[in-house]
Amino acid sequence: MKRQTVRFTINGEARELAVYPNDLLLNVLRDQESLTGTKYGCGIGECGACTVQVDGAPTLSCLKLAVSVDGCKVVTIEGLAKGNQLDPVQEAFLDNSAVQCGFCTPGMVMMGRALLDEKPRPTEQEVRDHMRGSLCRCTGYASIVRAIMVAGEKAELS
Amino acid sequence: MQTRTKLNTIGRNTHRKDGIGKVTGTEQYASDVSVPRAWYGGVLRSPHAHARIASIDTSAAEALGAVCLTFADVPRVKYNERTNCAPPHLYRDRYVLDDTARHVGEAVAAVAAPTRALAEKALRAIKVEYEVLPAMLCAADALKDGAPKIHETILYRGKETPIEHNVAVTRLIEVGDIEKGFAEADSIIEREFEAAPVYHAQMETKSVVCKPAVDGSITVWATTQSIHNTRQLLAEIYGLPLHKINVKKIAIGGTFGSSIQMNSVVPICVGLAIKSGRPVKIATTREEDMYDHCRYQVRITLKLGFKADGTLVAGHMKTTVELGAHNTQGYHFLGVIAGFWVSLYKLPNMKYEGTAVYTNRTPSCAMQGFGAPQATFVTEVIMDEIAELLGRDPVEYKLTQYRGLGDTFWGQGPTVKSIILSDGVPELLEVGAKKIGWDGRPVPGTQTGRFRRGIGMARSFHCSGVGQPRKTGAEMIDYSGAIVKLNEDGSIDYIQSLMDHGGGTCEAIAKLVAEEIGVPLSMVGISDVDTNTTVYDITTHATRGVFAGGAAALKAAKSVKAKILDYASQLLDIMSESLVIEPSEELGQGVIYCPGYPEKRMTLGELAKYLHVNSWGTIAAVESLHPVTAPPAYVTYFVEVEVDTETGVVKTLAAALGSDCGTVVNPGLAAGQLTGGLSKGAGCALIEAHQWDRQTGELASKGFWVDGKTLSILETPLLENLHIDFAHTYEPTGPFGAKGIGEASINPALAAYSNAIYNALGIRFREVPITAEKILAALSTKKVRRTQPAQRELVNS
Amino acid sequence: MYQTTNTRIIVPEFDVRQPTSLEAVLRELEHNAKGTRLLAGGTDLLVQIKLERTQPARLIDITRVPELMGMAVKDGMLIVGAATSIRTLANGVGVRERYTALAESCDAFSTVPVMIMGTIGGNLCNASPAADTAPALFAFDGAVELASCEGSRRTVPLDEFFVGPGRTVMREDEVMVAVRLPKTAAGTGSAFVKIGRVAADISKVSAAVKLVRKDDRVSECRIAVGAVAATPMRAYTAEQYLAGRRIDAKTLADAARAVEEDVKPITDVRSTKEYRTHVAGVAVKDALGAAWQRARGGERQ
Repeated sequence: MKRQTVRFTINGEARELAVYPNDLLLNVLRDQESLTGTKYGCGIGECGACTVQVDGAPTLSCLKLAVSVDGCKVVTIEGLAKGNQLDPVQEAFLDNSAVQCGFCTPGMVMMGRALLDEKPRPTEQEVRDHMRGSLCRCTGYASIVRAIMVAGEKAELS
Repeated sequence: MQTRTKLNTIGRNTHRKDGIGKVTGTEQYASDVSVPRAWYGGVLRSPHAHARIASIDTSAAEALGAVCLTFADVPRVKYNERTNCAPPHLYRDRYVLDDTARHVGEAVAAVAAPTRALAEKALRAIKVEYEVLPAMLCAADALKDGAPKIHETILYRGKETPIEHNVAVTRLIEVGDIEKGFAEADSIIEREFEAAPVYHAQMETKSVVCKPAVDGSITVWATTQSIHNTRQLLAEIYGLPLHKINVKKIAIGGTFGSSIQMNSVVPICVGLAIKSGRPVKIATTREEDMYDHCRYQVRITLKLGFKADGTLVAGHMKTTVELGAHNTQGYHFLGVIAGFWVSLYKLPNMKYEGTAVYTNRTPSCAMQGFGAPQATFVTEVIMDEIAELLGRDPVEYKLTQYRGLGDTFWGQGPTVKSIILSDGVPELLEVGAKKIGWDGRPVPGTQTGRFRRGIGMARSFHCSGVGQPRKTGAEMIDYSGAIVKLNEDGSIDYIQSLMDHGGGTCEAIAKLVAEEIGVPLSMVGISDVDTNTTVYDITTHATRGVFAGGAAALKAAKSVKAKILDYASQLLDIMSESLVIEPSEELGQGVIYCPGYPEKRMTLGELAKYLHVNSWGTIAAVESLHPVTAPPAYVTYFVEVEVDTETGVVKTLAAALGSDCGTVVNPGLAAGQLTGGLSKGAGCALIEAHQWDRQTGELASKGFWVDGKTLSILETPLLENLHIDFAHTYEPTGPFGAKGIGEASINPALAAYSNAIYNALGIRFREVPITAEKILAALSTKKVRRTQPAQRELVNS
Repeated sequence: MYQTTNTRIIVPEFDVRQPTSLEAVLRELEHNAKGTRLLAGGTDLLVQIKLERTQPARLIDITRVPELMGMAVKDGMLIVGAATSIRTLANGVGVRERYTALAESCDAFSTVPVMIMGTIGGNLCNASPAADTAPALFAFDGAVELASCEGSRRTVPLDEFFVGPGRTVMREDEVMVAVRLPKTAAGTGSAFVKIGRVAADISKVSAAVKLVRKDDRVSECRIAVGAVAATPMRAYTAEQYLAGRRIDAKTLADAARAVEEDVKPITDVRSTKEYRTHVAGVAVKDALGAAWQRARGGERQ
């Protein structure tokens, strides 16, 4: 196998990286870019802990070849806040005690952000439908549902 | 009720201090640690459930540039990976690497290489010849006469001790005289129950990084619930003095008991690091993790005798526990099932017989509730049935029989007895019943439509901590230490090795410290620590974090406060007894003052600065604490379900959960413990089971989460149908009146679901998970397999 | 037999090609079809590669091929590019109204990221007996259009497409170009029902029904069930039985029984043979009931 060059942006910064065809986006982010907020949970797309955005769409980085993001915009959990200004979803997770062990949190926040981008004021059922692929074992999800709904409400008010 | 008149910090929802790192993805977990020059480690695992390693050839792997580790490379030290038990109760039956594999997925060899891909290649280049041995994949096979032994001997109390019939340990506990008790009973009921083993499914798989230094010392980052126990065990195995092993406290991606022990990959990683002289990182895969640990499989027969007025007079419980390949804590587990059982209801005469059996399966370990979910399942389903037999409301009946205020309570087993000093059960049952609509619940067996609704109730508790006797007879080690230090600006460092698994334990303790000293929470920092800079703390387990760990930190905070007041009294020239410290959000400081004497006032920052500039020294305290009680953290569940009688699918429509955790320190996070307990508990009640192929010993799921399903966000009730209540209690022996909550929060789930499904269908399920398949089968035969014979044993004398 | 895997990485090695036109895809196949797999969303194929159940030497990433993306209506027929994502399909103009069962099967498709990454062609080409979209496409008499590197094109009716678990009639040198769905007649109603352990799951049983309601009778009906045989399958006995009948409690029960007799499920980690047999009938019954209602309602077909 030979390395290939991929050019893409991560959290707005341009990158040119040499990757193997079988390298996963997840590992390129974590190992080459030290962006360890994106987590390995199951490796087979069942838990959502590795969710990032590729060209705005929630994407499972454990099932995404790094070579396939050539020319794309990748946003990880580390790129969501604007400087010290947290994203409203991040803020709402803190306000609503929706963070426990925190291992699912990056994936949850990325999915919550994607939902609000599509639908600024989702119903509870829409939140649940949208988030069904992100597993959390600590919270029982109630606080997460609440956080995403509150983030939507707050964004509308402001 | 003894309460503080005013609390500044406790009971307030705050942004948890580690939250900012967690929501921005910058918090580091063991699997995120990277060390320069580190190699990746990998573990070769047994494809056989039981096999002796006839030969192992690592030359091809080494030719690839990997460093290899086999049983010949590691110290031949037999150990038990969980050291919470006092040494006389430790059953040591494992090595870092052994010449025998006792379950599919057990470590056989390990490699370290510069890349993950090369490590994987090297693993596959290792040639192992196995002598396959007969595998015992269930207790019945393991217990058969002449069954091959899974362990010939284990190390127990310093001696190699033979294991007979694969029975790892038995326990017999008796109180009173059950013969006499049953003779006095008007009715006797006997039922058989089974709870399947389940996988913890914590989000982070087990990981470890070890960095060796030229002087022979090592630094370790590991997923663990106890950094000090990990250090002690590594010292025992590798013969190092404790000071040469530094285990870092690091965030952990959920545990639910799965890392109560030093995980098997930790000493393997250390072995690789020592052999290679390089830092090594092992981050396990999900499939490795699923083969690594699970909850105990438990079968219980319970016989209860009761008077016509419902008074319980005798109980006899027989328990068979499947340990899997290693006895991590069988002795203690058998004891707590007895303890939880007898502490649920008043029972003057009881007999408990427990047997824990080795099988060639994934080793079982602690999991949230540790015996209480199973003991509660059995007891609360039978009590529901007795109430029905007596024609009484289960809530009303249970309130006449349960162990509450003023009663004796065992909790963790026969060596731990204390008197219950706080009890929110009546309050929680009243409010829960009201919110779920208990009085309007259906009459079992009367519904005829396709979709049938039912409401079930169960109550339970967990003991806050272990609460062991001080001198002889302790089964468990149970103490915490903490350091509290006043910094030169008036801020506080709270320094403790106690782990926060995510429930907010350390956040809560920081609040206790802030409250006690009298500073705003923003002025208390939770220090990033390790074993070298902290004093011992046993483990975050048994719902002891806030109760016991917090009590130790509170003791240190009191000591610091006394010193602060002493110095302040010298500076302000007033008796220290007349001074108070209160947080000022405006100043962002603690303020020391004498009420009614306005001039006598300074901020904590001013005091600290003065002490520093004038070389008066540092104010700090190190304390340790052994709690003498382990008060019950009660939890009550009411769940409403809807059963589709054509598909057997059970939906949770509503739940009313109640917790008596004493003073609530972090309300939002405490509520999260309860909803988390419900989600995990419902999974165990309805769908989850860790199953092994009876021929190969492989997991049915093969270790992949696609077939080891846990509940998602869609399977939990809507927010408006989810009710959370806390009892208004104060535990006199707890820090600021607090008890535990986390583990308790799952305990009533199995019973509550079984009772709710009974209420809907009129069919009792005594095996969990109650899958759609089981429900359909039961509906089609109108009887429940295996429990039917037991029903005939109901005697009405 | 226990097999070592490592889902943190992809252990097998392969080359990846990223053509940007159908012609280029076909050219790649012409050079070397053996050991080549087409990679679309990767949510199934990359899992299979990770678990080392397949080890292709070469992957052709077809997600940058415009001819394979998007949806169009031509002569009343809905044509869906094979690399169109499940989510795009579900939200396609008119899909929910005209092909309700298909939209419902997309909604039930695992999780949102998988709906976004996964494609209709990928779902079909993986040929899982439990493929969520297959029963609905059977019900709508769907067909797939295949192109080969020799330049030939053929259209295969969906219910002739699957051969066995993981196997289809597609040749190694072929690419699925599109899925074609005929226009639905007036009075059409359809529904999809899925039973899993949890909502986001591989189904234990799934069923799709499309019927045409005329003069309060079933004038035409197609029923398909998933995860109850080696391939998704039509429930012919029930279809024939229902033709010309009115949907009521009795005909529903009879149809369910007929389904139970036709299916050939197995016991696996997700469910049992007995459960699947019975619940296949229930799923069809529920889908029939919903489709019948919708056919009358007229707002959905």
